[in-house]
Amino acid sequence: MQKKLIVAATALALLVGALPVLAHHAFSAEFDVNKPVTLKGTMKKWDMINPHSWFYIDVKGTDGKVTEWMVEGGSPNTLIRLGVTKYTVEIGTELTVEGYQAKEGTNKAVGRNFILKDGTRLFLSLSGEVPGGAPPATK
Amino acid sequence: MKCRCLASLSIMVLVIGLTVVLVAPLSMAGQAQGSQARGTTAAAEKPWTGKTPDGHPDLQGFWTNNSYTPLQRPANVKEFFTPEELIADNKRRAAQQSEQTEPGTTADVHYDFTQFALDRSQTRLTNNLRTSIIVDPPNGQLPARVGAVAAAPGGAGGGGRGGRGGGGGAAAGGAAPAAGAGGRGAGAAAAAPAGGAGGGARGGQYDQVQNISIGSRCIWTSSAGPIMMPPGYNPAYQIVQGKDAVMILIENQHEVRVIPINKTAHAPAPVKSWLGDSVGHWEGNTLVVETTNHNPKVLTGTFANTSDQLKITERFTRLTEDQIRYEFTVDDPKTWVQPWKGEMPFVKINGPVFEHACHEGNYGIANTMNAVRLEEKRAAEAAKQAK
Repeated sequence: MQKKLIVAATALALLVGALPVLAHHAFSAEFDVNKPVTLKGTMKKWDMINPHSWFYIDVKGTDGKVTEWMVEGGSPNTLIRLGVTKYTVEIGTELTVEGYQAKEGTNKAVGRNFILKDGTRLFLSLSGEVPGGAPPATK
Repeated sequence: MKCRCLASLSIMVLVIGLTVVLVAPLSMAGQAQGSQARGTTAAAEKPWTGKTPDGHPDLQGFWTNNSYTPLQRPANVKEFFTPEELIADNKRRAAQQSEQTEPGTTADVHYDFTQFALDRSQTRLTNNLRTSIIVDPPNGQLPARVGAVAAAPGGAGGGGRGGRGGGGGAAAGGAAPAAGAGGRGAGAAAAAPAGGAGGGARGGQYDQVQNISIGSRCIWTSSAGPIMMPPGYNPAYQIVQGKDAVMILIENQHEVRVIPINKTAHAPAPVKSWLGDSVGHWEGNTLVVETTNHNPKVLTGTFANTSDQLKITERFTRLTEDQIRYEFTVDDPKTWVQPWKGEMPFVKINGPVFEHACHEGNYGIANTMNAVRLEEKRAAEAAKQAK
């Protein structure tokens, strides 16, 4: 019994360990792990494009000056299946984005977390429905 | 940097969602094991009898092969999960995908997949009870390469070919590169370029655009293959049949396979295609597709250093309203000591397949090139100062 458990645990470790974090490209070649950023601002535009979404966010500095940041997010296709449109996140929505700045040094970043004013993460409340989970009877 | 309490919340949401989603189909999966479905999730539904107007089995519709099943089975793992084990495994993997990486590490430098519904658990899973896609050799691992010294057992293999393009899986481990003569055939042919590397003065993968993988450049995805591996995200397919051709539309990177039926021969050997040259025919209820003439640039990962004798034969059999059994045989006598076979289900999803338009929005390439040029400029200035 113990042997079986060890085999099962080993197998699990191998299987789980094999899971890569899948992404379209090497983000660390584009964004700088040594430049973490926290951007507080308002949503100006969301380009629902592939391979990655881009959020345009107006960030107000301590001096009152507004700077536009472009923040990379995920492919929108599955969100579209869930009924999300470019109007789902209204222009002017307050957002805090935690991420990493682009290596090229401009006001671009990858958004690790998109956090709404009430503390919830963007789109997570949509996860109650699985796309394609209820295929229609066609025949 | 990041609030892990929110991550924990997302795991909880996922687990609840998974429990709802998985329990129903898996109650059927248990009945299917050892039956016609051979470990897939086809239930005790009545066999599929639908035909197209020209009398062939109707494969048409929207499908997914979304799965956590690795290409290769780790050593000492049994061939099939029980339904309960699969539920547990899916939960563990969903939690892992949600948690993803440690803040402040290089691997953390990306968006949270869960927030964009891109974790595999957030799309319908096929719930394959098999613990590897490879079914032959029976140990679920790639056969030895021709002329290779005994290879270490394969690691837990990811999907198909290397690179991270288009959400493709990681390269399968364990196979030694082809080398020398012996075994089947007369030794491996000249190595194909891997990952679309184009060489040049700058040799690093991200030094120049030609060195970046073809997947990241939106040129090809392992979900089109062939073999058609589950992509990391956007795992949607549409099959449309005509009298003389079958079309498979692949959402990830918006690839299209057009498979002529009853074409008499493959293209001449020098003609190479990104998706290979496919010819199809019907064998009873099964669509059989044979593909040769692969563009060497797609022969990466598991398929790196294969020869011009590479032939992939796929078999699509609709078992039920809800499921197609997808089988494949990979043969290259100059590369592997024996052909190897795999199997996985495709299950139904709601359409449509959305456009992916990967190339036109691929700002990441320009950003990456800008970054490396800036780093080079800084290095050159530093070297100048040091003199």
